[in-house]
Amino acid sequence: MKHARIYFEDVQVGDDLPALVKGPIRQIQLTRYAGASGDFNPIHQDDEFAKAAGMGGVFAHGMLSMGFVAQAVTDWAGAGSVRKIGVRFTALVRLKDTVTCKGRVLAKSSKDDVHTVEVEIWAETQKGEKVVTGKATVALAPRT
Amino acid sequence: MPIQLNRIVGKEYPPFVVTVERGKIKEFARAIGDANPFYLDDDVGRASEWGDIVAPPTFAITFRDEDADTGALLRDLGTDVSRLLHGEQEFEIFRQLRPGETYLCRPKIVDQYEKAGKTGPMGFVVRETAVTDRDNEIVARMRSITVVRL
Repeated sequence: MKHARIYFEDVQVGDDLPALVKGPIRQIQLTRYAGASGDFNPIHQDDEFAKAAGMGGVFAHGMLSMGFVAQAVTDWAGAGSVRKIGVRFTALVRLKDTVTCKGRVLAKSSKDDVHTVEVEIWAETQKGEKVVTGKATVALAPRT
Repeated sequence: MPIQLNRIVGKEYPPFVVTVERGKIKEFARAIGDANPFYLDDDVGRASEWGDIVAPPTFAITFRDEDADTGALLRDLGTDVSRLLHGEQEFEIFRQLRPGETYLCRPKIVDQYEKAGKTGPMGFVVRETAVTDRDNEIVARMRSITVVRL
């Protein structure tokens, strides 16, 4: 179930996060993200500008893809659970691309009643090209 | 000919104040297509452990100095927007960002280096922004690497 609560004990190292499929990316979403984020770089809006800049056309904000992988983490671990999330942008997301976000549990630790889980996260397009790779740390409540 | 970037490590940009707006959190979540009720539903937020809706993990990227000259960093470096790519981004969240809260953001350039990329030489500029509350407690920290195609 989406947005269900998971507990620290329910998570095992090696577990896969449920995949989250986003897209296909349309121009309107990039325009909407520009407005919401305040990033109005024309390279994400104006195809001629992006071509003249040598980028071969419009591409999505990296931060939109990061928003997607963050959603994959919070759909699994819950809103408000993320303590740290960091990614590298490894390839461009183009219009019409589908972005699938995935993750895997790397480690669990408990210290001073704070229970954290470290996950590897990444996103790839329909061509299998990784566009984002990174890690996140979430804090989960214990069952008891 | 590749362009030469100016070295600006250690440069601090003027601190700026932001107030988190309820509608902005919802607009941001919807722009990502994230329908999590803890971001969008005031009733769910009120009943939650935070007592209000919270912001998605990447929301702090919206924090910007509305009064600042947005071209300042580019000009300091000696480049323009068409050469920029986002290389890396990290958020540390020490406390959930909530509507109505006011924070102080302090951006600083902490590192700068060059490397050969797939399509030619690249400049990397690492900027950290500390986000603190009225009591000077750290709420979040952002670290971003901007790539400049030289």
